[in-house]
Amino acid sequence: MSRGTPSLEIEERVVPVGDGRVELVVQVAGSGPPVVYLHPAAGLAWDPFLERLAAEWTVYAPQVPGTAAGRPDAIRAVDDLWDLVLLYEEALRRLGLERPDLIGQSFGGMLACELAATFPKLPGGLVLLDAIGLWREDAPIVNWVATAPEQLGALLFHDPEGEAARAALTPPEDPDAAAVAIAATTWAIGCTAKFVWPVPDKGLVKRLHRIEAPTLVVWGREDRLAPAVYAEEFGSRIAGARVEVLDDCGHIPQLEQPEKTFALVSEFLWQQRPAT
Amino acid sequence: MKVSLFQQAPYRFMPEDFEERGEPSVVSTPYDELVEPAKAFDSYRWFVDELLAGLRAGFDGVAVTEHGQTSYDMTPNPNLPAAILANAIREERPEAALIVLGRSLGKTREPLRIAEEYAMLDCLSGGRLVAGLPVGLSYDANLNNGIPPVETRDRYRESHDLLMRSWTSPEPFTWNGRYSQYSLVNSWPRPLQKPHPPIWVPGAGTPGTMAWTLENGYAFVYLSWFGPTLTAHRIFDRFWDIADRHGKPRNPYRVGFVQSVVVSETDEAAEEEYGRYVERAFRQGPGSVPLHYMGLPGYVDIRGVEAIIRDPGDFGLAATLRRATFRELADTRSVIAGSPETVRRQIAEFAEEFRIGNLLVMLQMGGMPHDLTLRNIRLFAEEVLPHLQELWRGGEWENEWWPAGIAQTVEA
Repeated sequence: MSRGTPSLEIEERVVPVGDGRVELVVQVAGSGPPVVYLHPAAGLAWDPFLERLAAEWTVYAPQVPGTAAGRPDAIRAVDDLWDLVLLYEEALRRLGLERPDLIGQSFGGMLACELAATFPKLPGGLVLLDAIGLWREDAPIVNWVATAPEQLGALLFHDPEGEAARAALTPPEDPDAAAVAIAATTWAIGCTAKFVWPVPDKGLVKRLHRIEAPTLVVWGREDRLAPAVYAEEFGSRIAGARVEVLDDCGHIPQLEQPEKTFALVSEFLWQQRPAT
Repeated sequence: MKVSLFQQAPYRFMPEDFEERGEPSVVSTPYDELVEPAKAFDSYRWFVDELLAGLRAGFDGVAVTEHGQTSYDMTPNPNLPAAILANAIREERPEAALIVLGRSLGKTREPLRIAEEYAMLDCLSGGRLVAGLPVGLSYDANLNNGIPPVETRDRYRESHDLLMRSWTSPEPFTWNGRYSQYSLVNSWPRPLQKPHPPIWVPGAGTPGTMAWTLENGYAFVYLSWFGPTLTAHRIFDRFWDIADRHGKPRNPYRVGFVQSVVVSETDEAAEEEYGRYVERAFRQGPGSVPLHYMGLPGYVDIRGVEAIIRDPGDFGLAATLRRATFRELADTRSVIAGSPETVRRQIAEFAEEFRIGNLLVMLQMGGMPHDLTLRNIRLFAEEVLPHLQELWRGGEWENEWWPAGIAQTVEA
């Protein structure tokens, strides 16, 4: 799903990767230095955070194969996480991005870490927003794929009744549009699950030490999906990482604490740019 | 019509208020809290004894299926009870069929093991195996066995191809699949039936699976739990339409159907004797499977999800089964209940209308006691079975989906 506001012009770039096996769809918006945004499990949505980012940066948002509109079967061409990481790296190279910053939310945070660990020279800076990818026995990650749809609000948001939760979870009023939107989100969750099923620990803990990029870790203190102890896990395993835990905030800081999140991310990203 | 006895192995002592606790009947159902070892033993010995009673009472076959982490069918591997049945068939009813409605090829991580187990069962039973090959339930394949939902169907197809090749290839071969690799496949034993045992594919009625079933020449099996008066027209009309489009004759033996039945002297007595067990079995069993467990994201493709949102009719009573009353279950024919006359008539009407050649009756469910179950089996076998077996007999259709058996060639 990509819901752009009328003010934001989104360009769709189709990048052939994997020797022609996959056409990776990358949505591009804004102007300025390049930032790569890696979307969460439910697919890409142009929320106000991304729109504000696009005012200062050129946002490149690749879509996990299968989750881009009109190309649901592309997921079948990708085998596993290793395959996906190589396809993404290839796509970023083909786009000619010079040390772009990587921002990853949840599932996208894991993918950003994998890219930054596998290709330490690839990213400028790295921003993780409530990333998954690690596992502690005392703080198991909740299986969001197996969560009943009506319980997702309580899992993802500090305030499930709040405006942010409502805006994100209310399907369109038109039944036709609602069927399309729900099917797209469901399928996106299914596609991304392929890379983390059944337990979202694919050995990232062994690779985090390879990350060289300056890193900012932002977390919601009330994250019920990936508890805030994981902020410290990422922070302590990535050299020099800065950790910010936000109050009154669940799993999606850019929706539930948009001002604070944007301020932190924007400040961090500008710090990574050499003064010109 | 071939009429077989289908049994599940429910834990028979679930608390009366189980369905009100909001606990699922699958995946996370607490075991130690609910199960006493001696009662687990009872549940299994009755399960086996009832199947053997059915075999001895003259059913054309006996049938079991697979459910992992399931309180209403404790059968993580149906080939274990099937091995008991294979021996009983060999000794007592060599013309009966051994129907395993399925080991799921979408769930398994060891497809060759299923091929080999089935081959052994065919050998042990004297070529009496019907090999069920279901895709597998989403919760079982994906939650219980860790298969990524989006891979379930691709794995099913690949595992099917491997199984078939392992049964029919004249030469050992290397299997370099996407989901499994074997350096040399050379199964000992292989099925007695050549080229392979009849294949039945149980399913929920997905058009893609139906088409695939027909293209491969297999039989399709559907079940009554969600209320045939609500779903059967949709499912069977769809099946026969797809069959027409594939140029496959409307041979009734191409279709199997699982129907739960309780029979007594009169309609009133049937309700009186079985009603509360039936009601509780539906509420506590399939009625307590959370709906979203039936299709985790990725298990049904994006077009399928959209179609189900627009029209959820294929699922009949499913959404309200947890609160279903005996009356609703009987009215929708989730269960057929009544006197022998009523049961004969209702099943015959149904089987003729939808062209069902292979019927599987389920005569025990939930906590229904052993004695009452044996009575249900006996009454059905005596008063109903012989009548139903006449249906389609002497007609133009061959049951190509029935085990062929093998003649004994060497005297001991």
